[in-house]
Amino acid sequence: MIYRAPPPSALLVEPLDAFTAVFHRPSGITHLLVPPAPQILAVLTEGLTREALMQRLAAEYDLADADPVALAARLEELVDAGLIRAE
Amino acid sequence: MSEPERPDTSADDRAPTRRRALMLGAVTASAVVSIRPALAQTAGSVLACEIPVPDAGRAGSYIADDGSVVPAGTQGAYPAPGRPFKGQEVKQALAGGQLPGTTWESNRAYVNYIRRLQRGQGGFTCFASLQMPRG
Amino acid sequence: MRHRFDVRIGPAGFRVGSDWRAPVEQLAALYSDYPKPENGVPDFTVRLTAPRPWRRWLRPSVAIAGDYMLPEAAPLPLRHGLLAAEMAMNLQMALGWRRHLLLHASAVEKDGRALVMSGESGAGKSTLAALLATRGWRLMGDEFALVHPRTGDVHAFPRLVSLKNESVAAMAAEVGEARWGPLLAGTPKGDIRHLVPGPAAIAAMDTPARPMLLVFPRFGFAPAVRTVPPSEAFVRLTQASTNYTALAEDGFKALHRLVAEVPSVAIDYPDGAAALALIDELVP
Repeated sequence: MIYRAPPPSALLVEPLDAFTAVFHRPSGITHLLVPPAPQILAVLTEGLTREALMQRLAAEYDLADADPVALAARLEELVDAGLIRAE
Repeated sequence: MSEPERPDTSADDRAPTRRRALMLGAVTASAVVSIRPALAQTAGSVLACEIPVPDAGRAGSYIADDGSVVPAGTQGAYPAPGRPFKGQEVKQALAGGQLPGTTWESNRAYVNYIRRLQRGQGGFTCFASLQMPRG
Repeated sequence: MRHRFDVRIGPAGFRVGSDWRAPVEQLAALYSDYPKPENGVPDFTVRLTAPRPWRRWLRPSVAIAGDYMLPEAAPLPLRHGLLAAEMAMNLQMALGWRRHLLLHASAVEKDGRALVMSGESGAGKSTLAALLATRGWRLMGDEFALVHPRTGDVHAFPRLVSLKNESVAAMAAEVGEARWGPLLAGTPKGDIRHLVPGPAAIAAMDTPARPMLLVFPRFGFAPAVRTVPPSEAFVRLTQASTNYTALAEDGFKALHRLVAEVPSVAIDYPDGAAALALIDELVP
């Protein structure tokens, strides 16, 4: 399964204190995200498998809880929201 | 594009480059909230709204005990009431009263129908506005 | 449609047609100092009609119609025709206005800066605005605040202020009889009287203001003030806007800018005097 975010031009991303507001242009829907969702969204401009995504996040961030089950849950939320695609 | 090497924060003598902390979080704690449109607010200020039972597209059907819409004449189900209910009437019924012109059983059927209304069905916006606090 | 009345409220022009004379006469009297739609061309049409032909005379009841409708709106008795007209005009704005981000909020202005007070029906935003208008603030509106998508300015929509039950008595002490509409007793939301905005508010209706503070009031609680973080204000205002979704990208940008640039507070207050005191403390 490859997870992929839309190209940056498809999103308006605005940080707002602890949350990040994201406007998804294709659907016109607004979402509010907290970490790690915005970070995952940014990394997935390149399509990645869950394992590759974990590795990329661990390399870019100090990942205190590198739990694949938690990452799967985060990915599912982003897919349900229509922000990323699972191929 | 290759990732630049990041020095480990542990054994190295040189000053380490710290990566920002990131937590993936609990499995059950969602990191995404989607904004839903708020049409019920408008209906709330349209004070007198009505809820048809059932909606106009299924006029003539009957309402079963559990609120589902069934073909006319179904055993044990109730014919539709003669007119739509006003928001105030439904509000009272939801609080334990009874819709006008109903028996105990038909009232229960109609109230169940109303409770099960989904967005897009006739009467949903009115029903949603009744749930808003402070009118 | 025998009877007709046109009026401009802020940037929006309305044409109201009615099967009966009374509601139109009442509107004309209360809105007598307001301008007409620009170039005579209204933005919205509202019709007050009889739901069935015989309902023009037999227990007359007023059904509202216009371009923008909620199909579930129930007719009102003719004696509440003024209220039907107000509701219909509100509905046109709420569902049809696109030139600004529309917030369910009252707004008042002083020295070119605006307080924007957001709340549902009953939260006290209308009464609070009316009260502030008697304390040196200019009333911009009691129900809708319009936020310009490019400039971020707040634009006025000073419709008749709709006051209910106890608020009517509270404001009657502050404002002369000449500015009140008729008492509409026993409506589904209680007793209602309309208060005509003062001459200063009407004269300045085309003058926008910079938003300086977003307030989320709650009436009927011990006095309290809490800072509201921008993300919470953002979510609350998406729920307080009837056209946020329809404005899409422009709505997102306008709302983000508003909550990022303007501080937000939630205030609880037990009565008008307490509210005025809290607001005095909050505004430099």
